[in-house]
Amino acid sequence: MAPPTSARPGWSRRAQYSLFFSFLAAIGLLLAGLGLLALNVAKPQLFAPVRGVALDVTAPVTGLLRSIGDTVGGLVSGAGNYWDAARQNGRLREENVGLRRQALQARAILLENAQLKAALALREKSSVAVATGRIVGSSLESERRFAILSAGSGDGVAVGMPVRAADGLVGRIVDVGATAARVLLVSDRANIVPARLLRGGQAVIATGRGDGTVDVRPLEVGRNPFRRGDVIATSGTGGLYPPNVPIARIIRLDDDGAIAVPLADPARASFAIVEQPFNENALPPPAPEEAAR
Amino acid sequence: MVRSALGRPNPLDRRPKRLAPFIPALSVAAASLLPLAPVVAEVGWLPDTGFLLLLAWRLLRGDAIPAWWAAPLGLWNDLVLGLPLGLSVATWTAAMIILDLSDRRTMWRDYWLEWLLAAALLALAELARRQVDAAMGAHYELAALLPSMALAVLTFPLAAWIANRLDRWRLGR
Repeated sequence: MAPPTSARPGWSRRAQYSLFFSFLAAIGLLLAGLGLLALNVAKPQLFAPVRGVALDVTAPVTGLLRSIGDTVGGLVSGAGNYWDAARQNGRLREENVGLRRQALQARAILLENAQLKAALALREKSSVAVATGRIVGSSLESERRFAILSAGSGDGVAVGMPVRAADGLVGRIVDVGATAARVLLVSDRANIVPARLLRGGQAVIATGRGDGTVDVRPLEVGRNPFRRGDVIATSGTGGLYPPNVPIARIIRLDDDGAIAVPLADPARASFAIVEQPFNENALPPPAPEEAAR
Repeated sequence: MVRSALGRPNPLDRRPKRLAPFIPALSVAAASLLPLAPVVAEVGWLPDTGFLLLLAWRLLRGDAIPAWWAAPLGLWNDLVLGLPLGLSVATWTAAMIILDLSDRRTMWRDYWLEWLLAAALLALAELARRQVDAAMGAHYELAALLPSMALAVLTFPLAAWIANRLDRWRLGR
């Protein structure tokens, strides 16, 4: 059936006008929203202050809830560790001896490496930690992968800085408030990290897949160089990420690349370190995603 | 006569709450905060809870939330969740206008039809977000949307139930 020609709520002029104007207002606001969205897509930096303030307001709530959850979780898992303490202790002691030997070996290699680099007069900056923060939350409602870090511009954090945890690379800063920052995780679709295979040193590119894994492709087309269990690390190309930070471990091969899981699981690595970009020139964005596209 | 202090309230005393006209909008704003839960997950399959509750309210009562209120609520959702600014403003207002227009078309309304409408709007909103994400440099294939879409559609009855309970509470029924 055809719709009625008018949506009159009755004979009241006031009711008719208010319905009409609310309809007009809705359409006007829809257009305003589209305009805002277009502006935001074209120039994301324009709204950086607004996003920063919103981040500052919401992050402490999440942080507080997270610390309560961590305390409860810690009590439970702490009690669990006592359960099998004797055997655990023995195993850890064995592991400790093995690791100490490896550490001695590594120290010798480090020394030799330093001497060789000095001989080559290779200039290299050591990475500088800007701030340390807790990862308090992540984007649960979107296919994009962001995490909230509890350190902001007050701690010296700026947009574009790389973020790493003890286990490996976490991502880079995209939004910054005074006390909190938003991190684009390695597993996000927009995060493209120049990397290399630790075994053999072949240059590869790691792109997030949005579901917690990373897609790894070799730069040169050819035989698939990956094997299950291989670890990839940043290569330092592009100047944003410092070299030799482990990124991910290969879990599955496909026809010309592989799927890997990030080594620094942001759900477990509760602390993250924000570092200076490896090369200062990398800071003002053109972000690597634009460079790679 | 002694009256029990903890007895059942007199049914004749029941009346709408003082903030009754604003409770729907406030509940939507509160629902937007839900994904701020301190969970760090590797997948983002949680539905857009604010949008779910907005649809539930709109389908329950045409006048609970005026159509243009969707814009400020959407802006709040964008700011709180860190979505591209304007995305929820546009999708939420568009959903309200679509529902206003469809109200003039539909001859009857039952639960299944409401669920179908909500599912269609939720799917459209997810597709719009995919387009915007792609424009901002994060392309993902359609299949990546399916789990979150399915979860949103399956959660809608829960949102409808919550809106219904809140409605009865705010009106003092």
